[in-house]
Amino acid sequence: MRGHLSSVKGGEPDWGGQLGSERSGVRMDEDVLTTLKILIIGESGVGKSSLLLRFTDDTFDPELAATIGVDFKVKTISVDGNKAKLAIWDTAGQERFRTLTPSYYRGAQGVILVYDVTRRDTFVKLDNWLNELETYCTRNDIVNMLVGNKIDKENREVDRNEGLKFARKHSMLFIEASAKTCDGVQCAFEELVEKIIQTPGLWESENQNKGVKLTHREEGPGGGACGGYCSML
Amino acid sequence: MAADSEPESEVFEITDFTTASEWERFISKVEEVLNDWKLIGNSLGKPLEKGIFTSGTWEEKSDEISFADFKFSVTHHYLVQDSTDKEGKDEVLEDVIPQSMQDLLCMNNDFPPRAHCLVRWYGLREFVVIAPAANHDAVLSESKCNLLLSSVSIALGNTGCQVPLFVQIHHKWRRMYVGECQGHGVRTDFEMVHLRKVPNQYTHLSGLLDIFKSKIGCPLTPLPPVSIAIRFTYVLQDWQQYFWPQQPPDIDALVGGEVGGLEFGKLPFGACEDPISELHLATTWPHLTEGIIVDNDVYSDLDPIQAPHWSVRVRKAENPQCLLGDFVTEFFKICRRKESTDEILGRSTFEEEGREIADITHALSKLTEPAPVPIHKLSVSNMVHSAKKKIRKHRGVEESPLNNDVLNTILLVLSNTFLVLDDIDITHALSKLTEPAPVPVHKLPVSNMVHSAKKKIRKHRGVEESPLNNDVLNTILLFLFPDAASEKPLDGSSSTDNNNPVSESEGYNLYNQFKSAPSDSLTYKLALCLCMINFYHGGLKGVAHLWQEFVLEMRFRWENNFLIPGLASGPPDLRCCLLHQKLQMLNCCIERKKARDEGRKTNTSDMYPGDAGRAGDQLGPDNLKDMDKEKGDVGKSWDSWSDSEEEFFECLSDTEELKGNGQESSKKGGPKEMTSLKPEGRLYQHGKLTLLHNGEPLYIPVTQEPAPMTEDLLEEQSEVLAKLGTSAEGAHLRARMQSACLLSDMESFKAANPGCFLEDFVRWYSPRDYIEEEVIDEKGNMVLKGELSARMKIPSNMWVEAWETAKPIPARRQRRLFDDTREAEKVLHYLAVQKPADLARHLLPCVIHAAVLKVKEEENLENISSVKKIIKQIITHSSKVLHFPNPEDKKLEEIIHQITNVEAIIARARSLKAKFGTEKCEQEEEKEDLERFVSCLLEQPEVLVVGAGRGHAGRIIHKLFVNAHRAAAMAPPEEELKRMGSPEERRQNSVSDFPPPAGRELILRTTVPRPAPYSRALPQRMYSVLTKEDFRLAGAFSSDTSFF
Ligand SMILES: Nc1nc2c(ncn2[C@@H]2O[C@H](COP(=O)(O)OP(=O)(O)O)[C@@H](O)[C@H]2O)c(=O)[nH]1
Ligand SMILES: [Mg+2]
Repeated sequence: MRGHLSSVKGGEPDWGGQLGSERSGVRMDEDVLTTLKILIIGESGVGKSSLLLRFTDDTFDPELAATIGVDFKVKTISVDGNKAKLAIWDTAGQERFRTLTPSYYRGAQGVILVYDVTRRDTFVKLDNWLNELETYCTRNDIVNMLVGNKIDKENREVDRNEGLKFARKHSMLFIEASAKTCDGVQCAFEELVEKIIQTPGLWESENQNKGVKLTHREEGPGGGACGGYCSML
Repeated sequence: MAADSEPESEVFEITDFTTASEWERFISKVEEVLNDWKLIGNSLGKPLEKGIFTSGTWEEKSDEISFADFKFSVTHHYLVQDSTDKEGKDEVLEDVIPQSMQDLLCMNNDFPPRAHCLVRWYGLREFVVIAPAANHDAVLSESKCNLLLSSVSIALGNTGCQVPLFVQIHHKWRRMYVGECQGHGVRTDFEMVHLRKVPNQYTHLSGLLDIFKSKIGCPLTPLPPVSIAIRFTYVLQDWQQYFWPQQPPDIDALVGGEVGGLEFGKLPFGACEDPISELHLATTWPHLTEGIIVDNDVYSDLDPIQAPHWSVRVRKAENPQCLLGDFVTEFFKICRRKESTDEILGRSTFEEEGREIADITHALSKLTEPAPVPIHKLSVSNMVHSAKKKIRKHRGVEESPLNNDVLNTILLVLSNTFLVLDDIDITHALSKLTEPAPVPVHKLPVSNMVHSAKKKIRKHRGVEESPLNNDVLNTILLFLFPDAASEKPLDGSSSTDNNNPVSESEGYNLYNQFKSAPSDSLTYKLALCLCMINFYHGGLKGVAHLWQEFVLEMRFRWENNFLIPGLASGPPDLRCCLLHQKLQMLNCCIERKKARDEGRKTNTSDMYPGDAGRAGDQLGPDNLKDMDKEKGDVGKSWDSWSDSEEEFFECLSDTEELKGNGQESSKKGGPKEMTSLKPEGRLYQHGKLTLLHNGEPLYIPVTQEPAPMTEDLLEEQSEVLAKLGTSAEGAHLRARMQSACLLSDMESFKAANPGCFLEDFVRWYSPRDYIEEEVIDEKGNMVLKGELSARMKIPSNMWVEAWETAKPIPARRQRRLFDDTREAEKVLHYLAVQKPADLARHLLPCVIHAAVLKVKEEENLENISSVKKIIKQIITHSSKVLHFPNPEDKKLEEIIHQITNVEAIIARARSLKAKFGTEKCEQEEEKEDLERFVSCLLEQPEVLVVGAGRGHAGRIIHKLFVNAHRAAAMAPPEEELKRMGSPEERRQNSVSDFPPPAGRELILRTTVPRPAPYSRALPQRMYSVLTKEDFRLAGAFSSDTSFF
């Protein structure tokens, strides 16, 4: 089930930021194209840590403790033949822990925003999270993904279409998933990474990206053009 | 001369057969290239539109071929045409003469402003040039020239290519070309004469007509009329009455906050020399017929004033000196200086303080003596050490998943922001740490300290050597710290007026993109002041001096609880540069220290305590009562506390109370022991919730505010957390390190709600972890039954663990999560060790930000659309470059170069406006026209003067020339005299008051049969240009080859 929207973000490509690899001290492997920093946010209890655990260890642990502050996991994946190392920061979500998170927005290339399809209040709170994202993100071309989690449960309160609509409105990728049954989890991360890699300037290291030359030098008299009358006098 | 010799007649005579094979190979290579480029056959395009040579796109294709080992480049130059124009390509049109031959007669693109010289001379839209590949190579000998030309001729004949093919001969600078174009039964020879000195008979139209006619050698009489196009170009270099007004500001004059007319905080702008050096006026007679006009050696009808077309171009001064650009460039240069502040100023104030701050252990040993420097008493290393030991003890060294180095780093960093939670009673551990209570240290009055520091500087340097004079320094300090002027230093919480109208302007938010600082902030102003100091007041030394004063002021403010003005309140704004964040951090520290000190004062004087150090404004009415009750305790405890309070959020040393509340707290919490305690530190009552065990209202506690962080601290912190790795152990440790805040909140909560359970806490703190269900009890009633979520119920999970550890201690008595003393000292130390180069790097974004705003502001006055576009590009570019932690110098230089460029363009616009007097223009319509004309001059290579010499702009231009000419005539230099003396000049001056033209161009065209009267009538053209030291004839003579 690949239910996603392509994001339609405008804006100038950035010149790549500081990569997660440098900050997290993880050495870049030879064949790894790049290290990407990804952040998971959303209300507490929506299943952020479970999604991450499912993705990195392919397990579901009903005994998973509530996150304190931020947690951190690493996984290397291959998208379209490109290997990317993901440094994923999982956040707690409780009001009081939020003061910690803004620092982790810095330099992130992708953000996964999670809500629980069986708890409408977690969907309603998405606006707050987006606000925070806007305030603390240092770049404007970061790739955002919306994930509606726990679709295995029966008492659904948020319709898939509502999620879709929200994602479209805010130019995000969208997918519904279940950390428990594994639905959509792998796909969500792959899709996000693919999108990041497709966004020019978002992931390249600084020296890979030469950027645009601004100088419009006036044509000199060299070469074929004789520069018109000026050079004749 | 090449054109004078008749190459076509000699071609085969000089053929050297020893080189025949090389020669043949060469020819076949030429043919190959022509074939590859598909230049074969006749392709007729559209007739050339007017001006298409300038507005259209020219492209070129190149290849390299060699003649023996001599390399030639072959280049195809062509005007890009719509593909539809070339449709007729495949049909071979026998009777039609080649396109290029037809173009010789086209008058729509005479004298193009910018074009290849062959285009200018022959009006061609397409041609191929064979030239020596190396720039210094040349084909000099006549035999070689002829050999080349015959190669061309053979290749054209063999391939059927109708594109003219040229070879470049002689030295490249002479731009000598000979060439040929072949069609069916027709041929055009392109010949050229190039002389240093003009033969007298060729200086006028009638002489040139004679050459043209003799060259054609037309057998018909009378000759069909020759059409004539003429352009005279006049150069104006002497702008007479117009003086460039801008002088570099006078640096010595200091008038009321201004230096040489420059206010601090404002940037200079403009060029120091006239950025427009020459004006070229071209007067054109586009279409004359022979006989209508007389121009011979004694008389001329060619009065430039009467010329039907005028066009103008300006020549810009190369890199004119521009003030803003210089300003920024000079500032940027500081980035490369290696010297430290001390090295620049000579040993001075920082040496002692700096050392002490840097070396905490050393400082510790000094604790026993009264020291003027405030040092916080518990050494970090001690703390970390004992905490580490505790962890070790717990785990056993060998199982330790982290190597010692990593752990040390982590703990050192953590000691700053986190609290290491351990099973051992943390409060207890803390109280133990404080037990060997340091001797109370009485600080010297701070004012004394600063005073003495200032004295030290003086002493060291001597007043006269001081790089900045006192007036300048005081002016700057007043500008930076306006609150110092009023008796009472700034008191409010926020020092930046956010309602400032500036903040709404679009430029204001630029700091966000540039990672600089708001344009009304202290940081931004400091950057501008340093920039000015660097430029006008002692350069690097001045910069070092001002910085030193600035750091002293920072310390003064910290010591005296004076907030720093010009900084938005609240935690450091991560969107700003690090230096700005550091200053904000210092302000946070000052704010907390001040609140604490004031709390202490008011408590002793028995006034309302004002909730020092907490979220004071959130204070609910509910805890007013509590505060009242506590007052007594607080008051009595302060005196005995001296400096150790720095370890606590807000401190009390009432050990009895600690015992009372702390020791009794059982692992479970719970009603029996706890209810008897009096609640403390309540913020306000929770809307709905009540405590589970007794139904009393649940109170939200006053909590410690999170520690403000600068980006470098945040980075350090996340690095540490990431280093713990992804193992379960690492994850556990990570959670533990971050539980300080959780623990603190739990303690506050317990204090505010005596006898509460974890369930109560969770309902406030993480409501989704308390699950409520409606169940039917035994009596059949619906009741709400709640329990902790599964994950909270996991035995000994960290939440439960922390809950069991937490004592009921109100926030104000807890250990501080944020140690403002320590952080402030760290910031002050950081500031003190910044070299001027570091400082310049920190502040360069602010300077670039300011420079961009400046050019924007100046552009607004002139309204130049091209500049608007460039500024936008600069902003996008800069925001990309400046967002990197360490932008490359090359990229920074490019930004600065761009800014300078824009400055020069604006200066040029101003220069032109002044020269053409757009401001003086009274009629609205004329003024608009003139403004449009001036802006075109900036953007286009050549601008048509509407109305030529009779139009408004034309009259102004005329006057400029007349004035310059008159001035030259009044004081004629020798050379001028000589020029005036020639008969040619005299003739010229008889017709107008213009100076003699710097260049004359003539194009003569006709269509006549050649070589015999019965041959086909074909296009003939001759172009001539005549300047002071250059004379050139470029002829294209076509002939019918059918019968010859
Ligand atoms: N049925 C179901 N339960 C889930 C799913 N994902 C998470 N949970 C449960 O939801 C609770 C909160 O999960 P957690 O990952 O800790 O949420 P977080 O606070 O966002 O990190 C846990 O009890 C998980 O077992 C899911 O996809 N399906
Ligand atoms: Mg979690």
